[in-house]
Amino acid sequence: MTGKSPSGRALGRRDALALGGAAATVAAIPTARADAHLTVWTGYPEIQPVYQAVAAEYAKTHPGVTFDFFSSQLRQAEQKLTAAVPTGTGPDVYDIGTNISVNFIENGLIDPNPPEIDAYMKSGPWDKFTVDFLTVDGKTYGLPFLEGSRASLYWNKTYFKEAGIAGPPATFPELIEAAKKLVKFDSQGRMTRSGISLRLSGQGSGIGEKFRYLLAATGGSALERTPSGKWHNGYDNQSGRDSLTFYVDAVQTWHIDDPKVLHDADAFATGATAMLFRESWVIGEIQSKNPNLDYGVVPIPAWKAGMPHWMMLQPEGVYVSGQSSNKKVAWDFVKFLTNPENGLRLTEVTGWLSPRTDIDWKPLLAKTPQFKTFVEPPADIKYYVEPVLPPWDEIETRMADRLTAAYVDPSLKGNPQKIAATIHSMAQQTDQILKDANLYGTS
Amino acid sequence: MSVSTLDRPLPRPRPRGKGRRRIARHAKLWLWCYAMLLPVMVIYAYVRIWPIIRSFVLSFYNWRLIARVRPFVGLANYEHMLGDQNFQIAIWNTTVYSISIVLISTLIALPLAVLLARRSRMSAVYQTIYFLPVITPLVPMSIAWKWIYDYNYGILNYVLSLVGIRPIAWLTDAHIALWALIIMGVWKVLGYNMVIFLVGIRNIPATYLEAASLDGAGEMRKFWHVTLPLLRPIILFVLVTATINAYNVFTQVYVMTLGSQEAPGQAVRVLVYDIYQNGFEFFRMGYASAEAVTLTFIVLGFTLIQFRAFREQETT
Amino acid sequence: MRPGLQHRRLRRRLGALLIHAILGLGAVFMLLPMLWMLATSFKPPPEIAVWPPHLLPRAATLDNYRGLFSAIPFARFFGNSVFISLVSTASVVITSMIAGAIFAKYRFPGRSVLFMLVLATAIVPFEAYMIPLYIELVRMHWINTYQAIILPTLVMSFGIFLLRQHVASAIPDELLEAARVDGASEWWTFRRVLVPLSGSAISAVGIFAFIQAWAAFIWPLLVANTNHLFNLEVGLTAFQFRFSTDYGKLMAGSTLSTLPMLIVFLLLRRRIIENMALTGLKG
Repeated sequence: MTGKSPSGRALGRRDALALGGAAATVAAIPTARADAHLTVWTGYPEIQPVYQAVAAEYAKTHPGVTFDFFSSQLRQAEQKLTAAVPTGTGPDVYDIGTNISVNFIENGLIDPNPPEIDAYMKSGPWDKFTVDFLTVDGKTYGLPFLEGSRASLYWNKTYFKEAGIAGPPATFPELIEAAKKLVKFDSQGRMTRSGISLRLSGQGSGIGEKFRYLLAATGGSALERTPSGKWHNGYDNQSGRDSLTFYVDAVQTWHIDDPKVLHDADAFATGATAMLFRESWVIGEIQSKNPNLDYGVVPIPAWKAGMPHWMMLQPEGVYVSGQSSNKKVAWDFVKFLTNPENGLRLTEVTGWLSPRTDIDWKPLLAKTPQFKTFVEPPADIKYYVEPVLPPWDEIETRMADRLTAAYVDPSLKGNPQKIAATIHSMAQQTDQILKDANLYGTS
Repeated sequence: MSVSTLDRPLPRPRPRGKGRRRIARHAKLWLWCYAMLLPVMVIYAYVRIWPIIRSFVLSFYNWRLIARVRPFVGLANYEHMLGDQNFQIAIWNTTVYSISIVLISTLIALPLAVLLARRSRMSAVYQTIYFLPVITPLVPMSIAWKWIYDYNYGILNYVLSLVGIRPIAWLTDAHIALWALIIMGVWKVLGYNMVIFLVGIRNIPATYLEAASLDGAGEMRKFWHVTLPLLRPIILFVLVTATINAYNVFTQVYVMTLGSQEAPGQAVRVLVYDIYQNGFEFFRMGYASAEAVTLTFIVLGFTLIQFRAFREQETT
Repeated sequence: MRPGLQHRRLRRRLGALLIHAILGLGAVFMLLPMLWMLATSFKPPPEIAVWPPHLLPRAATLDNYRGLFSAIPFARFFGNSVFISLVSTASVVITSMIAGAIFAKYRFPGRSVLFMLVLATAIVPFEAYMIPLYIELVRMHWINTYQAIILPTLVMSFGIFLLRQHVASAIPDELLEAARVDGASEWWTFRRVLVPLSGSAISAVGIFAFIQAWAAFIWPLLVANTNHLFNLEVGLTAFQFRFSTDYGKLMAGSTLSTLPMLIVFLLLRRRIIENMALTGLKG
């Protein structure tokens, strides 16, 4: 691919022109040939094939650009990037959450977007909200790559029909009633199917994130930002207490979920649970594990009738490293990666949503109607975002440490004072982490 | 044991010349020692001594891997640590883990060693078998054990079901997970302790045991009144070193539980995992260093206990 | 035959039987995890997640092993483990021999200070000082390189102690003196007297170093960022997290990772056990 001889070069460009003329699927405008090798790291192993496919497409019009891809689990990816990026031994291109990227930005390890990228970003493909999310001090960094949340309610239509429930719940009281009817036990009293698969154990920040669905529904939040840009906890209140009470009751009073049952996407795909709050990628899981599953997706219920439905947003960017020696090519690739065709490809292949507003989803929805809630949410939904600050992961993980113990703690059952005390203690810890990072403030 | 050169003056060179040559010879020897030792000590200093010192220093700073400002905070990390629930849980779990492993494995290893003390071909075969787990690498065996502990299809639950016991959520039940790890830990270390005891028993002069037999003592009496007391120093050694080793547990905890989706969370939080999480997930390296220093002092404490008890042993 | 004698003989035989039963049961417990791992590695997927589980595969297959090499760069991981372990072993053997011999047989100013330093730092567990080492490597831009992975494994205080022990007790001073008196240089004495006579201790240290380097986990986990540097432990773990239900391949990988150690052990077990006990007791 990287023919260095003059004749090789000429051949490459001619080939590219021919391809561009014949197949009009890719905008094959031959760019100036740049021999470059790009290393790309991603924290989503399931997206690596998409990267590779995009790279293969890109290479057709940009011979001379070779790629190395590396993926690891999100937690490890964050650690590896944090070690590698400051030393210049990191990748040219990487995707990562804003809690990490904001740290890099603050320390000058990511450059502000070049003017043409900045203009492109603000020219309409993404809504103002997403663009703002990747803006620090008025400058944009990275391009929006995927929408990491919009978590919604998956419901198993077969089980619902079986239990005689007309449709998916629109409020939490309905959800609880449905879950009670949907849960199944075997002859020895072991739960074989949970009514809803809540995140009761496992990776720390995941637990915290799922808890926040409740916090949002009940009208609270994990953190609150003050006008001066400082933060403090947002759940040492009725919302926090209601949310924890819901979980405690779910496990101990209504018995609609149990830490011992199979969990999460695996559980929903194989029918071990009737309901699940999760992001769009589960659609991909279901397609590969159990394509005949009859299921639907609706927004997460409102806490009570008359209250709004809340949806979490978590745009994630793809960045060009400040230390890359191939920035021009890297940016070109990143632009290509985030174009509408590849955005659609991302969603089709992995289920992760592209945050672009100019993608035509109709073909996708025709094949997989369950995407509707994710790509075209109802107009009356209210949104909330992931807080962006360096110690965010620690805050969420520490919350989770407390929560996992609390969910199965029998002394919390029917004990509002203890629940309040637990929430208060958690909130104090959250505030302490903020203080340690000089980010705490109440005004 | 021969008296080493260290307790005697340097050998006299053949009387050949004036005093100057003698000093020159000493100097030449010393120079050679330094020259040989230098590369080794340089490496040792770079990869061990210097990091250990730096660990102490770091623990007094609010040191994050990517940060512009890393202020000195004195004992703040330590204060924070002592009041931190995660740290407390980690210390508790790690202590329970290591003491349990050591006690259980010693209680099993000792009788085993006695049974195998007689030299025979079967004894050698058994020794090999019991020692095998010791040399197996931790990661593959953790993966194997994870499968054995599986709630739905694991062979352990199957065996239990044969005797009518309901399936146990070995690795996901918060009350049981630590014990599941302890069982695996005992499995791993049993052979090692056994062999040490074995050698100790074999080193007991036959005359003592013969004398006891002549006095009419049966096997049990011989064990309690001859073997055991003579083994005290070795038992002590095993108890302390095994505790120290168990205190550093990380790999199996990470592979079998904490790294995966169905972790029992706090129930298996161990000290090294806390260091790992604080240092490499939250990047609070100053704080993690404070925990590391604490680990060092704990290990030091155990070592001192061993030395003290050992010395007492010698004087009685 | 007198009834009492018969009785006693019977009891002794029953006793022996009981002992063998206990030992045998214990041996099964010791071996079962490895056998289970081995057996599962030859089972096709339908036979693995099944209840009740059965030990032996009914339709044994090599698919797991074949699939393993295409699912992950297993050969690379294996090669890395071999490479890293060999380099570490060589370094440990050399440094331990040098330091051990010199501390044992030579007197020079600063000897006791240096030895105390080695002794004092020997008990500090690796996990307690890995953070500053990591920071240093970040500073050196050595993260994600072979040298970073191998660095902490270049020396082993246990090796130094073992060799010092051995040289001090097994090599009489007279030999050294004789060589010196004959006009031999120290270097010659070292090479031709000390080293050859330490053969058994050297091999013991080498074996221990190899076993320890093979099983290295937390450090490579931290400093190896990309696949091509992973050793077996880290590679297998990463694979496990991603394919937590593909037990056939996981067991195949685990078996292949454990096999070299088992082979080394079975070939050299007497050496290992002897020397292990030796250090244990003089500790």
